[in-house]
Amino acid sequence: MKLLKPSWVSHHGKPIFSVDIHPDGTKFATGGQGEDSGKVMIWNMAPVLREEDEKNEDVHKMLCQMDNHLACVNCVRWSNNGLYLASGGDDKLVMVWKRAAFIGPSTVFGSSSKLANVEQWRCVTILRNHTGDVMDVAWSPHDVWLASCSVDNTIVIWNARKFPEMVTCLRGHTGLVKGLTWDPVGKYVASQADDHSLKVWRTVDWQMEANITKPFNECGGTTHVLRLSWSPDGQYLVSAHAMNNSGPTAQIVERDGWKTNMDFVGHRKAVTVVKFNPKIFKKKQKNGSSNKPSCPYCCCAVGSKDRSLSVWLTSLKRPLVVIHDLFDKSIMDISWTLTGLGMLVCSMDGTVAYLDFSLDELGDPLSEEEKNSIHQNIYGKSMAITNTEAQLSTTIIENPEMLKYQQQRQTSTQTNSAPGTVGPESSAPKLNSVMNGESLEDIRKNLLKKQVETRTADGRRRITPLCIAQLDTGDFSPALFNSVPILPSGSSMSNQLTPHLSSDSSPGQPSSLGFRPSHDPMLTSPPANSLKALEDNNEGVKSTLLLTSASKIEPIKALDSRFTERSKATPGLTAAITSTKECKLKEDTSSDSEDKMASINKNLMYSKRKPELMIDGGEVVEKRKKGRPRKEKMTTSMVQSFTQVHTVSVPPSAVAALRLPTPSTQKAFSLQVSMEPSVFLEVENEVTVVAGSKLSQLRCSKDGRDWNTLLPSSTLESVDLIAVASEDRMLSVFSSCGRRLLPAIQLATPVSALHCTAHFVMVVTAGATLSVWSVLIQRKRYTLSVFINTSVSQSLLTQQGVPVVGLSNGKSFCFSSSLETWSLIADKADSLVQCADFRGCLSSHDAPVSSGPLAVMQGRYLNAGRLASRLSSTPHHMQQSMTLAFLENQLASALTLQSGQEYRYWLLIYSRFLVNEGSEHRLRELCKELLGPVHTSATTSWEPTTVGFRKRELLREVLPVIGENLRFQRLFTEYQDQLELLRNK
Amino acid sequence: MAKVQVLNVAVLDNPSPFRNPFQFEITFECMEDLPEDLEWKIIYVGSAESEEYDQILDSVLVGPVPAGRHMFVFQADAPNTGLIPESDAVGVTVVLITCTYRSQEFIRIGYYVNNEYTDPELRENPPIKPDYTQLQRNILASNPRVTRFHINWEGSAERMEDSENVDPSSNSMLPPSCLPGKAPPIGILPDNSMDCL
Repeated sequence: MKLLKPSWVSHHGKPIFSVDIHPDGTKFATGGQGEDSGKVMIWNMAPVLREEDEKNEDVHKMLCQMDNHLACVNCVRWSNNGLYLASGGDDKLVMVWKRAAFIGPSTVFGSSSKLANVEQWRCVTILRNHTGDVMDVAWSPHDVWLASCSVDNTIVIWNARKFPEMVTCLRGHTGLVKGLTWDPVGKYVASQADDHSLKVWRTVDWQMEANITKPFNECGGTTHVLRLSWSPDGQYLVSAHAMNNSGPTAQIVERDGWKTNMDFVGHRKAVTVVKFNPKIFKKKQKNGSSNKPSCPYCCCAVGSKDRSLSVWLTSLKRPLVVIHDLFDKSIMDISWTLTGLGMLVCSMDGTVAYLDFSLDELGDPLSEEEKNSIHQNIYGKSMAITNTEAQLSTTIIENPEMLKYQQQRQTSTQTNSAPGTVGPESSAPKLNSVMNGESLEDIRKNLLKKQVETRTADGRRRITPLCIAQLDTGDFSPALFNSVPILPSGSSMSNQLTPHLSSDSSPGQPSSLGFRPSHDPMLTSPPANSLKALEDNNEGVKSTLLLTSASKIEPIKALDSRFTERSKATPGLTAAITSTKECKLKEDTSSDSEDKMASINKNLMYSKRKPELMIDGGEVVEKRKKGRPRKEKMTTSMVQSFTQVHTVSVPPSAVAALRLPTPSTQKAFSLQVSMEPSVFLEVENEVTVVAGSKLSQLRCSKDGRDWNTLLPSSTLESVDLIAVASEDRMLSVFSSCGRRLLPAIQLATPVSALHCTAHFVMVVTAGATLSVWSVLIQRKRYTLSVFINTSVSQSLLTQQGVPVVGLSNGKSFCFSSSLETWSLIADKADSLVQCADFRGCLSSHDAPVSSGPLAVMQGRYLNAGRLASRLSSTPHHMQQSMTLAFLENQLASALTLQSGQEYRYWLLIYSRFLVNEGSEHRLRELCKELLGPVHTSATTSWEPTTVGFRKRELLREVLPVIGENLRFQRLFTEYQDQLELLRNK
Repeated sequence: MAKVQVLNVAVLDNPSPFRNPFQFEITFECMEDLPEDLEWKIIYVGSAESEEYDQILDSVLVGPVPAGRHMFVFQADAPNTGLIPESDAVGVTVVLITCTYRSQEFIRIGYYVNNEYTDPELRENPPIKPDYTQLQRNILASNPRVTRFHINWEGSAERMEDSENVDPSSNSMLPPSCLPGKAPPIGILPDNSMDCL
């Protein structure tokens, strides 16, 4: 053991009442009497630990001193995370300090530079409630609460997450409360007072758990403090001043039954402070000794009014060491380093001593894992020690599964935070400059001229000071929103915005292309190129690329202008589909052909615009990509499916409210559907004239095999199922081999848009009818007449055959077959989207589903919404409920769209949000719905699956999310058990 | 605790002719919004002999003061020469900046001021009646003496039991540096805050 008294640690000879070593071991705080006030000082630990640092002039010894307390500081304590320092003093106040990293003064004005504050610690909160001197303060494990006790006989529990909110005031002591300690597991807080009692309080309901008086009956109120301590294994609570046979002792109180059978004896005067070493030790294994596992033990330091210090190991009957005459006056406080090997002791005489132990003396400290296993053995699965981030440190984990998820979460958060670890400096409060781009020098030059000076009613001068910086400590943040923006310059608002937007709309992000291609530079630039290419091709041989248009090629300019002006029509859809496919392609294949695909895709799209033909190029490409690897399967399924298709629908022609544009026909065109295997689709109208009737030829070449069909007319639409709509309102459907699958369907009005997905064919006619045919199930027909005064700007058919339309007013609807109605799935003007903030609930594991129909229809508005939320200053509860509403909308929409992946994606976000916000009722309802009835009966209407997922599988995914919040462990256990039960069935 | 911390005082227009106004650029920080104005004063010590020669050059209200860091320039006219004893016109004296909140002084910043003739001729043979037009005022800006007092920042409900502001003890941060021997004892300052003289 080494002993050192750093003489430079002093409050100018005034008493030092408290000492505490920072959790990171680099600094320590002292509290006590200042010249004319209370004083808190922060010191560098390095000069204490190393002699060379002590001698080095460049190593600062004192880091900061705070004279803010009006009277003597009785206690200083660092929070467990090291970000805060709490101090309590005779001025009845508790102050919470935080490191400020700002441009602030390196010196205190008017002082010499030698006494400069190296670090700036700012008082962020003053906790006022006590009506007498504050004697002790203590942070609960994981800094959930801060407790303070006072000579006003009370203990106040503060909400350390929301200072200065008070959780409760513990009343019951009838004398001055002089010491506090938290149970390391977080279930209790114990206090010792001059009323000859030690009381243990439960943190669950803040009621008294135990009142121990017997060992204290003989005590007189003679000590300044009574700092008691709880052992790191939680088994023992050791009091300060107690009496046994008129001798002063430190009473050992067992957690089990609060029995008081043992004590530390030997001090000649009252014990003022007891402090357990934070580590649990085990005996050092010596060479040759038996490998018999020794019992772990704790280490405890006891300081007394008799000026001596004793250090005990719970495994030994006698103290490890007793040091007399270390100080001239009573010992006031003890603090161990987190390593368990160093200890600082302070005394009323104004000095501090440092003790350095070796492993040989104390034993081998257990690792955190070993400490955990001890905790687990004693208390079951306790997260209090293992999980440094646990929200509810007080809760014992009752379920091993729960523990697993907690630990997983912890490790993941650790790994996440590891690379960009932010030190206390960066998270410390900052002063935000509000100078609007002006340098301080500029301001100073003109300050006299610029400052506002008025005269008060009684003729006195009154100067309005110029605010050059605002405090940003959280408490002051509202002011930031109301005043001048804290941005470096006036235009910086947009500067700040653009990077987000541009990153969101980067080419790799398909979702960003979802809407309004006319305004999107991404989409407006290519057409010119592709058209040029087209023209070139036009003259040459029919190359791999696109169509040759025999009819008039409109000037590029005209096309461009249409793109900018006619944003409502089909380009929106095609763009959306293209982007979707791009994404799908990227998922499906990794070859670089996908890029070519995409570009072709785009070209197709634009070229198609030109002749105003509805060619769903995107679909084609997608089909091709899919079709190639599993061609056989496709074909067979095709064959089967077509049998059921019904024939013509005759849409109600009376619906005249809505007239949709129809594409015009052209003489001939071809399109290449994919590069490999090369598939061409060619249409030539008016091929031959046989007996006065015109015939069109549709030719598709694939893998060298060609097939030809002759059609009596001339509009065309192509897909994997190849659907061809002709001018005479006939719709024909062919298989990929060219087999006619349906008899020609007669449509009431000309076709406006045509889509094919999987085995669905959707037709939007100019008569505002939307029809979907399925090759598997029955034909469905929907009417669009609901949407009056708008026109369809976008239409889409999902993989599940759900038709989706985007209207010109920004709303998107899909037809819910179960509800037999159109349901709103997206609304650009929806303020919920603008304000919903669920970024915190986005999991890094789930890649955002950007290819689903919901994502396609909502597109970038989702992203914009996230941005908006970052800028708005909506009150939290408002934002919370808006987010909730938004997420529920998303869920409902995904459900209606039968978009399984999206449903799952939003379900997980939704449940994570509920978990974060603590909405137990909704969570429970959700779980209940997913679990369904455990016992099935004939009357149960519960569907075991939803949108292609088994609900219970979904629940299995949701449960780990719930498991991340300890508060819901009951809920977690409940459903976990039921799931197990069902599985075993 | 002190809600207002003076971070810096810059002495502007220094040195300057005696009749120029005093200009101090004061930067201070406030912990929380102050419901009342701060009152700043500039006091010119006319003579070391007696406080009765002290002149309050000006007093100014500063407000509103929200939480944050603020600055302003406090400008006050030069002292009325008629009130300065002729024998004390030339030489070292003191100018004080004080600030009060709710009529309680919580900070006092003192500067030594050296008034002397720029003309060597005059310096050698100063006229009996001081020629203020020739005098130059030089404030020893690098050496402010700061004394802080604890006051009751809250409402007047609870008066400070200990009247620290009446009898402040010395500021621990005063540097033990030496000053020109000519410096007069300054009665208005708390004894111990200038005890290094």
